[in-house]
Amino acid sequence: MEINNGVEDEELEEEEFGFSRNYFLAKELGGSGKKSTRKLSDIGLVDEQELRAAASNIEPKHEKEIVALMNSYKSLYPKWVFELRCGFGLLMYGFGSKKSLIEDFASTALTEYSVVVINGYLQTINVKQVVISLAEVLADQLRTKRANTSGNLSKQPFNSRSMDDLLAFLNGSQTQDKDCFICIVVHNIDGPGLRDPETQQYLSQIAACSCIRIIASIDHVNSALLWDKKMVHTQFNWCWYHVPTFAPYRVEGMFFPMILAHGSTAQTAKTAAIVLQSLTPNAQSVFRVLAEHQLSHPDEEGMPINDLYTNCRERFLVSSQVTLNSHLTEFKDHELVKTRRHSDGQDCLYIPLTAEALVKLLAEISQ
Amino acid sequence: MAIASAAAESLTQGTPETTENDLQPFFVFHKASSRKSDKKPTGTGKTRRRIDLSPSSPNKTEKSEPDKAGERDEHCNEHLRTEAFELVWSKINSTIKDILRGINTNVFNEIHHWVLESFNAIQSFGTPGFTEATRSFPIVTDANSKLLFTGMVLTRNMEFVDDLLTFEDLGLFLRSNGCHVANLSSLDFSAKSGIGGCLRGLLRQFLKATLYEADISILASWYREQENHNTPVVVIIDDMERCCGSVLSDFILMMSEWVVKIPIILLMGVATTLNAPRNLLPSNVLQHLCPSKFILGSPAERMDAVVEAVLVKQCSGFSVGHKVAVFLKNYFLNQDGTLTSFIRALKIACAQHFSMEPLSFILGGLLVEEKQKGEKSGLQPEVVLKYTSQLPSYARNQMAEQNGKSLVHGFSELRRLHKCWSTVVLCLYEAGKCNKIRLLDLLCEALNPDLYTSRASNNHVVLEKDVGVPMATDRSIRRKYSTLRKGGFIGQIVRKVRDLPALMLYQLLKSWEKTTVDVLEIHEKVKDLQSLLRFEDGKLKPNVDDISKKHSSRSPLNMEKESKEVNEKAAALIDCLVRDYLRPIECIPLHEIFCFKNVEKLQLALIGDPRRRIQVDLLEFHKILQCGCCSKSGNVLLPSMHDTSIMYSLAQEHGDLINLHDWFQSFKTVVLHPSSKGKHKSKQSPNPKKRKYSHDSENKGEASIQARFCRAVTELQITGLLRMPSRRRPDCVQRVAFGL
Repeated sequence: MEINNGVEDEELEEEEFGFSRNYFLAKELGGSGKKSTRKLSDIGLVDEQELRAAASNIEPKHEKEIVALMNSYKSLYPKWVFELRCGFGLLMYGFGSKKSLIEDFASTALTEYSVVVINGYLQTINVKQVVISLAEVLADQLRTKRANTSGNLSKQPFNSRSMDDLLAFLNGSQTQDKDCFICIVVHNIDGPGLRDPETQQYLSQIAACSCIRIIASIDHVNSALLWDKKMVHTQFNWCWYHVPTFAPYRVEGMFFPMILAHGSTAQTAKTAAIVLQSLTPNAQSVFRVLAEHQLSHPDEEGMPINDLYTNCRERFLVSSQVTLNSHLTEFKDHELVKTRRHSDGQDCLYIPLTAEALVKLLAEISQ
Repeated sequence: MAIASAAAESLTQGTPETTENDLQPFFVFHKASSRKSDKKPTGTGKTRRRIDLSPSSPNKTEKSEPDKAGERDEHCNEHLRTEAFELVWSKINSTIKDILRGINTNVFNEIHHWVLESFNAIQSFGTPGFTEATRSFPIVTDANSKLLFTGMVLTRNMEFVDDLLTFEDLGLFLRSNGCHVANLSSLDFSAKSGIGGCLRGLLRQFLKATLYEADISILASWYREQENHNTPVVVIIDDMERCCGSVLSDFILMMSEWVVKIPIILLMGVATTLNAPRNLLPSNVLQHLCPSKFILGSPAERMDAVVEAVLVKQCSGFSVGHKVAVFLKNYFLNQDGTLTSFIRALKIACAQHFSMEPLSFILGGLLVEEKQKGEKSGLQPEVVLKYTSQLPSYARNQMAEQNGKSLVHGFSELRRLHKCWSTVVLCLYEAGKCNKIRLLDLLCEALNPDLYTSRASNNHVVLEKDVGVPMATDRSIRRKYSTLRKGGFIGQIVRKVRDLPALMLYQLLKSWEKTTVDVLEIHEKVKDLQSLLRFEDGKLKPNVDDISKKHSSRSPLNMEKESKEVNEKAAALIDCLVRDYLRPIECIPLHEIFCFKNVEKLQLALIGDPRRRIQVDLLEFHKILQCGCCSKSGNVLLPSMHDTSIMYSLAQEHGDLINLHDWFQSFKTVVLHPSSKGKHKSKQSPNPKKRKYSHDSENKGEASIQARFCRAVTELQITGLLRMPSRRRPDCVQRVAFGL
């Protein structure tokens, strides 16, 4: 026993030592010797259009093996259902997109339960909206369950209730049936739209509700750092599953710029439209004002902030500089809008898209 | 097969368009199918039937009749197991809660007493009249009446997660004693929601309503209402140190203004020291506090109590094997150190057991049976027999007649043996208490089947050898006590018993008497031993009748010798108990039904290691995919490998910065040249311009390679193994992980 412990400790130490050694070796390798200074532009980059076309035509590798691998996880489904019913959350990790795996699990093994999917890989997700629709699904379920005793459920529409109320409803003991729960599937619970601590707090509170079970996937190696011990042990209550799929991150990777594309930060009209659609109508209108200005003044360097403010104020889109700034911050975060110095010295705003992309974008959001 | 097609679909890059749902932030995937139509008494048969239990037989429609019957059995069994898990776990859980509550009872009573005293003190400042009290501004009298009685509850535990339950219990306890109680946490005192957040929390808990305009005067008028009057209002903040200091000080200042109208008493959980408020709050706030101190039980104490109730006394019948126990111990010591994590690990172990062991449902049956003795449990003997015959321990012990009787006998025998085991463990624990031996350590040793078998095999030899040999040297002592030969905690305890002073020995025997009362055979032995010692004139003396008859003179030296003799006897007794009764559950037939042993499964489910595993996935992907093409490559990168794997393997050779140009060139070399030897060569890639391709195909190939490179970089970015170029170094990406 003691000897065993000793060996373990030694291994642990060795591991830790190995880690730091690796780090310093890597640092050294980077610092000393001939540091490569070759430029990315030396590669002879192909045209961006061509690159995107090629990207959508990449020949898949190991198709057969990946399908077999996915199928091999099917034998775990009953176990997963069992654990969900025992009150655990399932956390899937391992390399490769786990989206189709989890959705297949949900569609075959969880037919008995309502399933709500959250796409965490998207840029913005409104957790309150999610909770409202969860409450609606649950209320629905309860209503069908006891058609005769309904009535006391919907005294107030869910979308006007506070978060605490909604969570209390989801955690309620309206039903003694332990098997009455809703499953939420969270693709990429570590994704950009869910990564902030406040959202994670809400997610953990949702997961802790008695009528909710959670199935989530993570891809980032440091995802576990998102949670403190209270969340891990008492709220999410994870059962970890290592399920590498090696399937391409098709949707998950959509919002990442291609590193070899020129101006890799430039957003396509499509991703911009998705971001815009998730914003409030007022924010969309502010964006529209800016876009229309840019289209009508193609030669100017951008729109001065003051002009934008007066313009928006006239249309009752914003009431103060503060609200405008909050919209602008949101735009800048998603790289929809950038600033540059005008020749006369003042900062002005522009949208980093071509005119035709901008037209297309405006058409899309006005639908 | 849906998954196969879905996977294939996601693989075929010809259809990169995403579906509508992929771009929705969230959507309802499907609603629960109405279960009424074919709801069976077995509950959830429907889902289960749709799943292939064996992936090798995909065609469900062609199943033969017996197959179907077998499947139905399987559902039934699975349902029974789910029920059994619920029974067993709720039993364990309630036991744990009771234990923890029991530990806290004294402190809770103390706190309650203090709350009442403080309330009286507040009342003595004078109660406001009705009109005064309902005015929407505070009453200001003298400084004394602005004091806020504050109980600092020292948790003696850095991990506040263990104390969440304690404070919840405290709230319930005070409420049941007629106080108004609100439980707040640091989340209510966040800088973001400000003072409004905690007020709203208070109003929600006291008034049971959500109000958008949070105002303390609402609380005051609520308190004035008839039935709420004359009881203290207790606000519990379970993790004071994590609150936002400014919000908490605002809260305290405001409460101190209103304390005459609303007799608020604060209880704050403090993990570090009593100085904690001083670090968090400014002095003008501190002077409003009138603190008192309460101390909760230590984590180790709680741990021992939980282990005793759940794993030694086995309230539920569920138990764990030696390896699992060792793992749980190491997990507790090395990983997390919280009782909560330990309980969670136990729950996972329990769930794993019930999901894997077909016969585990018997455990639920037995538990029910125990509750309503005499009634028959709903076990079907045929099913039980079918599974039991497959148990290795059952076969090993060759319980020849496979009939219900022998099974029932087997169960009761297992029960009995196990009862003896737990009694002996508790005796050892009692003895080890003065040596500060933790029960968990002892448990691991007591569960070790190897130690048991070695004890058993040595036993005979020793008995033959040692007859009549006087015990003088240490070696001979060791030979005498089989437990001493191996070190470890049990050895320590036996040695300790030999050296115990008479008074403590007397107390120890008393506690043994209490512990063993259920097991007659052991109890009698303890009683015999006890009769040798007796309490006389406030001093312990060996019983004269028994021992002193042999000794004519009773000098003090002799007295000592005599008491030493009792010590020896006690040591011999515990040694003998260990030898005869400390039979780990893994050495008892049929234990598989009750005992969880699969430590690997537990570890995988409990501790995900994404940082290491994802890197291993990439570096050794062929082991997981088991493809024929890449497995035999050794260290050489082949073009058939997964692109991201190639890239990540190449990245291993760079420093913390990877030059994108170099990286791309080596990637290209690997992809184009299957024969490139070793990874090292690939780094110095030849100039691509020298190569001669037909221009068109080169361009096309180039685009495709660049696209693959981009995708691989994106995928590495998603896994967090790579950081994108900064503005300062636009041609380099940064490696994040070094080593596994």
